[in-house]
Order: sequence, then structure tokens, then C-alpha cells
Amino acid sequence: MSGRPEKTGSRRLFALGALAALASMQAAGATLAVTVHQRDGHPLSGAVVTVEALSPALAPPAPVEAIMDQVQLEFVPDVLIVPVRSTVLFPNSDAVSHQVYSFSNARRYQLPLYRGKAHPPITFDQTGVVTLGCNIHDNMLAYIVVTDAPFFGRTGKDGAFGAGDVPTGRYRLRVWHPSINEPEVERVVEVSGDRASFEIALTRDLHPAPLTGRPHSWDY
Amino acid sequence: MGLLKHAAIAGALAASVGARGADWELALDLRAVSSDGRESFLENGQGKLRFDGEHEGIQLGRLRAALDQPLGETFAAHLEVSAWDGDDKNPLDLTEAFLEWRPYPRSGFRSRVRLGAFYPPMSLESRARGWETPYTITPSAISSWIGEEIRTVGLEGQVDWLGTRLGHAFDLQFTAALFGWNDPAGTMIAAHGFGLHDRQTTLFGRVGAPQTYPELAKKELFHEIDDEPGYYVGAQVRWRDRVILNALHYDNRADPAAEAPDIRDFAWYTEFDAAALRIESGNGWTFLLQALDGHTAIDPFEPLTWTFDSQSLLVAKRFGAHMIAARADAFAVEFEDDPAAWGSEDGEAWALAYSYDQGGPWRFALEWLRVDSDVPARLGLGQSPLASESKIEFSARYAISGSL
Repeated sequence: MSGRPEKTGSRRLFALGALAALASMQAAGATLAVTVHQRDGHPLSGAVVTVEALSPALAPPAPVEAIMDQVQLEFVPDVLIVPVRSTVLFPNSDAVSHQVYSFSNARRYQLPLYRGKAHPPITFDQTGVVTLGCNIHDNMLAYIVVTDAPFFGRTGKDGAFGAGDVPTGRYRLRVWHPSINEPEVERVVEVSGDRASFEIALTRDLHPAPLTGRPHSWDY
Repeated sequence: MGLLKHAAIAGALAASVGARGADWELALDLRAVSSDGRESFLENGQGKLRFDGEHEGIQLGRLRAALDQPLGETFAAHLEVSAWDGDDKNPLDLTEAFLEWRPYPRSGFRSRVRLGAFYPPMSLESRARGWETPYTITPSAISSWIGEEIRTVGLEGQVDWLGTRLGHAFDLQFTAALFGWNDPAGTMIAAHGFGLHDRQTTLFGRVGAPQTYPELAKKELFHEIDDEPGYYVGAQVRWRDRVILNALHYDNRADPAAEAPDIRDFAWYTEFDAAALRIESGNGWTFLLQALDGHTAIDPFEPLTWTFDSQSLLVAKRFGAHMIAARADAFAVEFEDDPAAWGSEDGEAWALAYSYDQGGPWRFALEWLRVDSDVPARLGLGQSPLASESKIEFSARYAISGSL
């Protein structure tokens, strides 16, 4: 995300160049590790972590072209994180038609009924969480998190999210997950040196996760 | 002309986007039955089961075809066609047929309008395609009766507040409908009480075999007799996707003195309240409580009233593709004017079922069902009023679906 200075070494001075490169990489920033724990201490996987730069301000990440598919009456992935101004394509891998909508403030839209050929991609130019639904299949649910943070990602099974080359500075860590039962989970941190690790513990129990695995012939 | 033009444009747009084809489903459900049931209510008997002692062996459970045809962007037509028995009035007939309008949800509100023939939203049990229950082969006494006698033929509006999509823990739903063509509802509960069966009466069919006695009602249920519309109102609260509480008040507002000689029936004034609570856990448990309380009346020469009620508790546990379910039902009908007379009944039913559904075309189910009932009308058939009927039924259902 943040630019990495180019190596300046030459073939003849390979060792020196490598050393210089190493030095400049260290100067480029820290390796950031954020681990999210549930109230009971278990790691929270799948949580969205965004790292907003407070000072110095960093340029927002470049927009991307992302995909939110529909497979066996489910959105895939269930949570998509994209930089602001990114475009998202909504293909439909199911044999049946879908009608995707959002009435979230961050992006209201609706994709007329379709199957097979996808509609033109949708641009998400406001930050926030966009909740997706299908007007034909009421159980379908997914989220698109639109962010202007220079670093972002989802926690793994161990509850950990990592980012490299984070310049020294002050950042706001935000954690979001559809099951989090508290209004804002955020923390302002100072990052310096070559490693910075933070633990974030939720203070309330999670909401129950959506029920999964029911046969598709069940209506609701 | 302007309207015609708009229609033409809309049609052209619809055709150009593609993907306007219909979705279809086809399912064949065959049964192997062992039963000691008394002569079934479908054969004009007073037995509680669909397959009685004379209908054992391989039987047709249901042959079902469904079609879902989008009409423009937010309208769709739904058709449900079924064959239940070889000797039905119509070999193939509709159980539901309606037009639905599903405008896009706005600001957290979702609305639906249905016009045609369909089930009122009251069963949290009949949640599978074709109004089937996924838990057992035979639905509860309440759902059996709804499938037998109740259908909305009219207009229904529904509004959902999708709180969970807005970050709240609850969703709310309100439903109201105006309907006709359900004036005979109540005939069957007075004639044979509650049954325990999965056979849904078709829109142009009748309940089982023709009447033995020509002077009795033809058992055709979807007729308008008094030209007075009925209504129902319902509400539903959902806590996330775990807990659903549903309530419905139904009143067909029939004039009990009105008669329809062509089907040899009266307008049965039927009013009931139904409530259901379903709780599901993240590890596969389902608890389902249902209750029904109502009355039906006719006034051929003096007012005759039957009250009826039923309660049901189902517990199911799903292990991946496997599910086991146990259910207990209690049901009662009381002929108000003389509780000891024919037309009253009292009974209980127990069901145990195992099913296997991995989401593919096959679904297998095995069910044991026992119904104990005290039905004074059995005296008229030279039987003892008390009966304990049971059956073991195996179901193999093969279902395919696709798009046109």
C-alpha cells in the first residue's frame, strides 16, 4: 500500500546495495500485527481491521476491481473489503435469478433481476458498511466494507491481521464484524520501530452467527 | 395508446436484459407404507391417517411441479401443481397459483403483494417448497388441517421492517388479506375432525373420494357462497434468524345461513387464531410450538357450532444432512350444542422421524406416527369410538429444478 523505496545497489557493489536496501526498508516502516479477541478470550476470525492514518496523513489506497459472486444462494465472499472508489462486479454463478439490493447509506442501489451475464460493476465512492440482500432470496446476506484506510484486511483463524511497511506515525485501528455487539471498536495507536503488535479485546459477547447449512429446499 | 407503448417498452427491456426465463421444479415422492389405520377420512371413514390399513405398500406420496415465472422486473407468477392419489377428482391440480409483486426494499422496509390462491402465512413448520414440512413426512394436526381446508383466494399485502439489515436485533412483519372462495372451510373439521396427513386439497379438487351419501357435502372447499369477503391479519416478530413468533387471526365472515346447492354445502362461518413459535440454535436444534383455537358454525334450521383447538410441540436436531424429529400433537373438536353427540372428538398424536437431505436431488425420510382418538361418530360406522392408529412410512423423494 505505501510505496517501497527502490533498491539502489549495483551489481558491483551488491553487498553494499543489499545493506542499503535493508536500511531503507527498515526506514519504510513497521510490521503491524493486530490480534482481535472475543470477550471469552477466543480469537475472532473474519473480523475486518482497518488502519487509518491520523498523522502523517497517507494517501488512500488505489481503487480496485473486486467481485462479489452468488453461489448456491449465498454471496461469496460473505464480507468484501474494498478501497473507496473501487468497483465491484456481481456475477451470478447460480442457475436461478438474483436481484441484489442495498439500502445502506454508504451505497444504495439495486441490480435488476439477472442470471448469467452480470450487470456493469457498481462503484462504491463513500466509506462505510454496505449491507447486501437479494429481493428473491430473503436469507441471502453479505457486506461490503468500503474504506479509505491505507491498510486493511480480515483476521485469520488465529484472530490476527498483519500489515507490512507501516510508516512511523499515529493510527486509528478499527475492528468490524457483523456479529460484534458493541457500537465502535477502535483504538488510537503509535507505530514506530520495525514491529508493532496490538491486542484488541471485545467487551461484550458476540451476536449469534447466522444459521447456515440448511437444505436449499427450505424457504426460510 | 401511451400505456400500450409503455408496456411494449417494458417488454422489450425485459427481453433485452435476458434472464427472464422461468425457474421450474419437479419432484416425485414415493412412499412405502405399513399402516393399521381405520378407514381413512379420505375414503369417507373416520380414520385419521392418509394411508389406512387398505392402502399399504408402495404409494404415491406426491408428484409436484412448480413454476416461477418473472413478469417484468418486480412481478412474478407462481404455480404449484400436484398429483396426490390415483383417484383424485382431477389427476393433476393446483394447490397454489398467484401473482406476486416484490418491489425493491427501501429504507429498511420490504413489501410484498400476492394476488391469487395461496396459504396464509401461519405455519412455521411448512417451510419447505410446496408447503411441505422438512421435519417429518406428516405435518402437525394444525398444518394438516390448514392444508386440507384453508387457502387464501384473494389479495394479501405484507410489510416487513428489516431491522436486522439496519443493525438491530429484530425484524417485524405485518400481513393483511381480503379473500373469498373459502366459505366451506370448517366442513371437514365438523365431518371428521382433525387428520394427520400431508395431502393438501387442490383448488379444484375435493377431500378424497366422492361422498358415499349423495345428500352430504361434496367436500369441495374453495367456493364463494355468500358473496361476503373474509379477512385475516397477522404479525410476525423475528429475533435475528433464531427465533420467530407468528400470530394470525382468520375470519371468513361467512353467513352461516347461506347455502350452495351445487356443492351441497353451507357457508361455514369459521374464525380462528393461530400462533407459532420457532426457536433454532446454532448447533442444529429446532423447537417449534404451534397452537390453534377457533370455531365454525352453520345455520341450516338452527345455529350449530363446533369449537376446535390443537397444540403441537416439535423438537428436531440436525446433524449435517441427517435430522431426527419428534412431535406431539393434541387436538379436540367440540360440537357445542351437544358435546356427547357425533361431531366432537379428542385425540393425541406422536411422531418420530428421521430424514436425510444433503441438498442433492434425493431426500429420504422414515416416520413412525401414532394417533389415539376418541371420535363418537365412529359409532355410526359400527366401530368403537376409541381408536389407536399407527403407521410406519418411508419416503424417497427425487427433485430436480432448472430454468427455462
